[in-house]
Amino acid sequence: MQIMAEPIYTVASDSETTGEDRTTSTFPEIAVGIDIGTSQCSIAVWNGSLVELLKNTRDQKIMRSYVTFKDDTPSGGVSNELSHEYDMLSGAAIFNMKRLIGRVDTDPVVHACKSLPFLVQTLDIGVRPFVAALVNNVWRSTTPEEVLAIFMVELKMMAEYQLKRPIRNVVLTIPVSFSRFQLTRVERACAMAGFQVRLMPEPTAVALLYAQQQQQAAHDSMGSGSEKIALIFNMGAGYCDAAVSAIGGGVSQIRALAGSPIGGEDLLQNTMKYLLPNSESIFSHRGIDEIRRMGLLRVATQDAIHKLSFQSSVEINVSLGNGSKLCKVLSREEFEMVNSKVFEKCENLVKQCLHDARVGIEDLSDVVVVGGCSYIPKIRKLLMEISKKKALYEGIDPLEAAVSGAALEGAIASGIGDPFGSLDLLSIQATPLAIGIRADGNSFIPIIPKNTTMPARKELVFTTVQDNQSEALIVVYEGEETRAEENHLLGYFKIIGIPPAPKGVPEITICMDIDSSNMLRVLAGAALPGAQHPATPYMEVKMPTVDDGHGWCAEALHGKYGATMELVTLRKKS
Amino acid sequence: MRSCGLALSGTDSRCYFPATPPIFSPRRASNSQVSFLKSPRPPSACVRVKAAFINDAVVSDAVEVSFYELLGVPESGSMLEIKQAYKQMALKYHPDVSPPGRIEEYTRKFIKLQEAYETLSDPNMRALYDRDLARGLQFAFSSRKRCYDHEEMEEKSGWRNRWQDQLSGLKRRSMNRDSKANMSWGARMRRERDEIHKEDA
Repeated sequence: MQIMAEPIYTVASDSETTGEDRTTSTFPEIAVGIDIGTSQCSIAVWNGSLVELLKNTRDQKIMRSYVTFKDDTPSGGVSNELSHEYDMLSGAAIFNMKRLIGRVDTDPVVHACKSLPFLVQTLDIGVRPFVAALVNNVWRSTTPEEVLAIFMVELKMMAEYQLKRPIRNVVLTIPVSFSRFQLTRVERACAMAGFQVRLMPEPTAVALLYAQQQQQAAHDSMGSGSEKIALIFNMGAGYCDAAVSAIGGGVSQIRALAGSPIGGEDLLQNTMKYLLPNSESIFSHRGIDEIRRMGLLRVATQDAIHKLSFQSSVEINVSLGNGSKLCKVLSREEFEMVNSKVFEKCENLVKQCLHDARVGIEDLSDVVVVGGCSYIPKIRKLLMEISKKKALYEGIDPLEAAVSGAALEGAIASGIGDPFGSLDLLSIQATPLAIGIRADGNSFIPIIPKNTTMPARKELVFTTVQDNQSEALIVVYEGEETRAEENHLLGYFKIIGIPPAPKGVPEITICMDIDSSNMLRVLAGAALPGAQHPATPYMEVKMPTVDDGHGWCAEALHGKYGATMELVTLRKKS
Repeated sequence: MRSCGLALSGTDSRCYFPATPPIFSPRRASNSQVSFLKSPRPPSACVRVKAAFINDAVVSDAVEVSFYELLGVPESGSMLEIKQAYKQMALKYHPDVSPPGRIEEYTRKFIKLQEAYETLSDPNMRALYDRDLARGLQFAFSSRKRCYDHEEMEEKSGWRNRWQDQLSGLKRRSMNRDSKANMSWGARMRRERDEIHKEDA
């Protein structure tokens, strides 16, 4: 049970005093932009004329996303400096938490994290995994939310010190593939850090930055600034995202989004397995020795992959302890071959996104490739091939793009004006995943389709499967899979008091509403055809309602109630 | 046109006009949930109720203007004009730029604006809308009940589009390691929609 318990969190209160004691500024508070990546994080703010990334005391704009636990006091990569890279691999450092947040232990992404040099344990029962750092030979459990909150507290303290004002509002970038349940976890981490947050999918932040640059260029050339279609591809250590945006007049209108939890971490793990084929069995039980050796291999492989972006082959020479040594020359071709599946997934993601946006490659004005993996020659080649372009867009720093876009959004949302019109911008978002309910047996029936412009309100009519059925179970899912349970469960409730009628007659309307703050509400009501009023007042439920480990609850409900509370879509009547 | 010429022969009318093959899939349904309670000519008595009680909060201030009036473009406006007008209006009425305290009002306005834009920026939808407009039925255009029909979707699931060739079932499988070879419902619907566009073009 200890595994399930939410650890008591203490860091947030430390920081709150730091900021709150300062004299509050009379200027409107400008929200800062924060990008917490799987491996790196950064913070940026609109300084009155442009976006500026803040640096830590070691003059770094891009900081490592990890937390080390020493004597139970956690400290993160923003403030802390490791004496050596290998310290990060002693078992005391936790990282890659963006990959784990809001995932249960049946998720393949969680299983892939088990080769990280700290403890990730799974029981495969649909609860959160057990994550722990080795502190003085004792496992100290933590959660992805806690680790994310520690980064944010450190970034907050750093920014408050430099900007000399308290910071409460933040635009935080997130991967496209995050479910709404994962978003609630991210929001919890933000609350721990004392932030009010707006979440922004990473490629949409990049699209906003691109929109600003195009707007600027249109101003400078006195042109009208016709519409441009941009393809954004963002691949970091943990996630890969694509977006197609229609940009004109300072407005970025997201036409389609696609995302997947694949990233540099997969490239790294595949390459590690290739270099040391029996690595999994060597590292299967987590002693201090195994963790250290796993860490050594990891650092050496990471280094080799970085070098392969700039040279065609690399020599790996690393001692793995116990007298064993790894000596190998790895060529770029081998690296690409070992990771061909990952690159294929990237390709599919981009093609899917272009397809969903109903955009042909001839319509594309620019292809913007950002994120840590954008340096990999194969990725660049792939994007150029798909788009049939000879060059990729050059005007954006790949590592600073997302955080800069988030800072722009923060400035726009704060409502501050800019005399030069640099902030006359708008990002029109679209839903990254479809939202719908379980009906027609075990099918997922979307009500708000994927890539619907937000805010949005949509409804669909269902009916009963039994004569005189008086109750119906509404199980809300988010995703793209045909079978309901393969999607993310957001919650469930039942509507009662359906008026007695033969099956197929009552009209049960399910309406879904996403407001401007991305809050989802589900409204449900039943009526007989031709009625002037619904039979019962409609129910309105905010989603998501579920916590970890509820995936199997929906199944249990259906096991218990069978078809007695099911719904089917209302067919046309002939 | 295959449509029987009724005002609502668009997206969601298939429940009522079963003989008519759908011109657009339900996915196409623009933000049709901004219903117009005061709609002068409800297409079918039974449709109205749900829209009415669910959309209570939304409709109260609906002043009935056409999509063209909403966007401020003439009925002869070009695609470029419509796109530019939409972006300019979005800069004014998106809830992100709303003054404090008026977010709900701006949200309603924006959803209407979006429906107008989605309708007029799609040549087929615009043609249908223009016809409804000519008959004075434009306010019924958006007040349709959305039904869902499996058979029709299955029928069309074999259709192809230009990206489809590249998204072979095999690749699709490799993308989602747990998913079936079939495309998702959403993907299938989008494909269907695109196919209709191609066919009509």
